[in-house]
Amino acid sequence: MSQAGYMNNYLLRSSGVLLFLTLWETAPRLAWLDPYFVPPLSVVVAEIGLLLGTGDLPIHLLVSSWRGVTGLFLALLIALPLGVILGRWLTGLADALDPLLRVLSQVNPFALLPLFLLFFGIGETAKVAVVTWVTLWPILFYTITATRTVDPLQIKSAAALGVTRSQMLCKVILPAAVPTIFIGIRIGASLTFFILIAAEMLGAGSGLGWLVHNSAMNYLIPRIYAGATFIILLGFLLNRFLLYLEKSLFAWQEYPASWTTAGEIRPYVWRPGKGAAIAGAATLSVILILGACEVRKLNQEAMAGAGGSSGHAKHFGTPVESGSGGF
Amino acid sequence: MSKAELMESGETVAHGGVDLSGALDSLNEKLMDYYGIAVLVILWEVAPRLGWIDSQFFPALSSVFAEGVKLWADGTLLLHIAVSLQRTFLGLMGATALAIPLGFVLGGWFPRFTRFLSPLLNLFGQINAFSLFPLFVLFFGIGELAKFSIIFWSCLWPILFMTIAGVQRVEPLFIKLARSMGGGRRILLVHVLIPGALPSIFTGVRIGATVAFLMLIAAEMIGASSGLGWLVHNSSVNYIIPRLYLAALLIALLGMIFNYSLHRLEAHLIHGTTN
Repeated sequence: MSQAGYMNNYLLRSSGVLLFLTLWETAPRLAWLDPYFVPPLSVVVAEIGLLLGTGDLPIHLLVSSWRGVTGLFLALLIALPLGVILGRWLTGLADALDPLLRVLSQVNPFALLPLFLLFFGIGETAKVAVVTWVTLWPILFYTITATRTVDPLQIKSAAALGVTRSQMLCKVILPAAVPTIFIGIRIGASLTFFILIAAEMLGAGSGLGWLVHNSAMNYLIPRIYAGATFIILLGFLLNRFLLYLEKSLFAWQEYPASWTTAGEIRPYVWRPGKGAAIAGAATLSVILILGACEVRKLNQEAMAGAGGSSGHAKHFGTPVESGSGGF
Repeated sequence: MSKAELMESGETVAHGGVDLSGALDSLNEKLMDYYGIAVLVILWEVAPRLGWIDSQFFPALSSVFAEGVKLWADGTLLLHIAVSLQRTFLGLMGATALAIPLGFVLGGWFPRFTRFLSPLLNLFGQINAFSLFPLFVLFFGIGELAKFSIIFWSCLWPILFMTIAGVQRVEPLFIKLARSMGGGRRILLVHVLIPGALPSIFTGVRIGATVAFLMLIAAEMIGASSGLGWLVHNSSVNYIIPRLYLAALLIALLGMIFNYSLHRLEAHLIHGTTN
């Protein structure tokens, strides 16, 4: 298929999304749906623009990203070494621990949220802990599997060539295991985003989840849609980006065609190099540093404000009901 | 665990003739899976009792059990479990009832239309369901319908996707074979497509069930007046710590039982269809 054919195919395939968006715009305008409950797309987009303009949305986005990235880093810090050790050296222990780890990984993170709140207090630690907990398991399991299933031929050849232990780890095991580990990281990152929004809805004073929850409490309907749309878009983009990164980083790996991608031709595959790695690292550190500052500022404001949650009300200038109540 | 161990080793000794170390080895193999869990259970009981952890924050397993017995005796525990299970099953059944036929129609009869729809469906499937929760509440009110709809929505997608994938991945040879032998649409559907797609569909249902349970607990924590999620939320708000642990433990156990029984059912059904 030529470039033009690819574009044509792409346009046809995205027309479903376009149709949906058009319907969203026209249905409330023509009063097929009550525009009070379903504001048209343009109103929602305008609301997103407004939130972006006042700086509310970037702040909440930054706070949420900081929580997510910190949790992810902590999980990586724990799961990667543990996974390599369990997968490579203490395989007997890994066998013995496997059922326990499976049980722990299946524990519902929402049920644990109050326990984390109990142990770590209502500050940032509890949220970061939940994110870490959720992300830890896929990374750990995939790391164990990855290091265990390295082709024995490669290991034997390296051993025959007389490599040291550290060389074996850095030059043979890790390169062979990285593609599988990355799948774990991707799954962990999507889960992180999922859980983070819920955790922020359940108990937080800032972040994207809180933005939606707060709008719902105050019946700011366009703002609910704006927040939800933004979260959905962000989650979708994050997922796509990670999949794309996985495909381009590990281009030699074969992926089974799924029903959504079958027959699609990738005209150009971008290979990330040094520049991309530096840009990625820079973005992550900016999120970490700025996010930490912002989170501290928000928490101090909350402390200063009378009794926790009312301190956040001034961000929107609207009264806020305390988060613990039901709908 | 130790009781079972004693009984089992006692049995091998009683039988005699078998050499002991071999028997112990095989016993070790059998119990291998449970060592980690046993250690955790023992630690949970012993650590708070010996004051290694503050028992106020981390009650011993036995006091969590005592709380469970108390709640069971006045019937509230069973009520909460029943309510949670009912919500999960209703949502899952509703989603299955819609997604499987829809998946067959989309995947089997309108493959081009499905390709055209797939970006939209993919987008819907990747929607973070929590961000939709306030909207569901807005439309369906705060009653059961909102909880039903959120569970319905979140398990609809995995089941639909896996059904479409399952139908489209049925071995083309089988379809051609059935056609060439003069099988009509009904025969093709009942004897070729459904058995061929069943493993994939079942995986979808299993994923859906896991998601349903996860969403249910979150939904009950955000807004409900009964159910296990509510029990967790309510205990934490009122600082009834043993009850909090009890509810968290029950949710973990129920989730595992759910998962395990679906795995067993899957193995049973798929085994039955392939042979």
